[in-house]
Amino acid sequence: MTKILLVEDDAWLAEMEARVLKGAGYEVSIAPHALSAIDHIDTMAPDVIILDVLLAGSTGFALLNELQSHGDTKHVPVILCTNLAEQFDSTRLHEYGVKRVVDKSTMHPQDLVVAVRAVLG
Amino acid sequence: MNGGDGRYEVTPLIAAAHELKAPLALVRQLALRLEDESLTDSERQRLLRQTILTSERALRLTSDLTRSARLDSALFTLEPINPEQLCRDIISELSPLFEAYGRSVKIKARKHPLLLVANRDLLRRILLGFNDNALHYSTPGSAVHMQVQAFKKSGIIRIGVRDYGPALSSDMWRKLQKKLKTAPQSIHARPESSGLGLYIASQFAEAMNGRIGAVRHKDGATFYVELQASSQMSLL
Repeated sequence: MTKILLVEDDAWLAEMEARVLKGAGYEVSIAPHALSAIDHIDTMAPDVIILDVLLAGSTGFALLNELQSHGDTKHVPVILCTNLAEQFDSTRLHEYGVKRVVDKSTMHPQDLVVAVRAVLG
Repeated sequence: MNGGDGRYEVTPLIAAAHELKAPLALVRQLALRLEDESLTDSERQRLLRQTILTSERALRLTSDLTRSARLDSALFTLEPINPEQLCRDIISELSPLFEAYGRSVKIKARKHPLLLVANRDLLRRILLGFNDNALHYSTPGSAVHMQVQAFKKSGIIRIGVRDYGPALSSDMWRKLQKKLKTAPQSIHARPESSGLGLYIASQFAEAMNGRIGAVRHKDGATFYVELQASSQMSLL
């Protein structure tokens, strides 16, 4: 089963997103902040990471840098799910391993499933 | 609006829109979830409650913005206030939101009452903002602590809001210190927040001849506001 790590610090949003992804047949773990995400990555080895960039304690970009600096995580596709979608340069995001950006403020819950399918090819 | 280097010039309007986006996006997701006809009655009730609480968070921010715009008029009267009682009122107001997020908010009781000089509404709004921040950054299941301290030599009273969560990185801490002192800056340069909430709190504190600050801990942070003690305190 495809394993997804959902890094989202709003518990209610994380719960709703996880429900939709589980309904689509994915195994989902939730990490509320970057440190927890690193723990999850070590233990579950996710196939896809869905990441909010506004995280407690550290930004999502610090986590992206961390992922890019390790050989075993740099190829894990990342989907950025953010309210700041319009502010990012997609070319630069690609350098961080971000394969897709989902605009949290306009998305439909199923958009995350579509994005996961797209990055998994 | 968008400079040649890709950065945005952040007007208060843009900063406000940016800050309001998160709760509005959450309200929208909750509403979309409510469209699901297979929801049980209890699930539906919970989603409705979450929608109301999230709307109230957004409304608090819009109220703060309105008041912030009126600060120049110096319409705010200062009066002696019991900070502990105000904290208790705020805890009563916020407890449903904290409980809904699996957290709690408490106050450490003092033996002797204190009085400070403030505008009740502005101080309340600063503390509501600090608590909202603590709710966001605290670990699920943890308690946020409000604390009132007196510094007798300087005649200052400090009200702090302590959260327990992941430690702030040094980089975020430096940015936070800057946000405590300056107006909202380029969103591009500070993707994690426009800093509007802290800027408003700072303006409110200054309007009451006070200041805000923050202390970093290994397991979270304390945001505080410092105000002058009331000369009537000696009467207590």
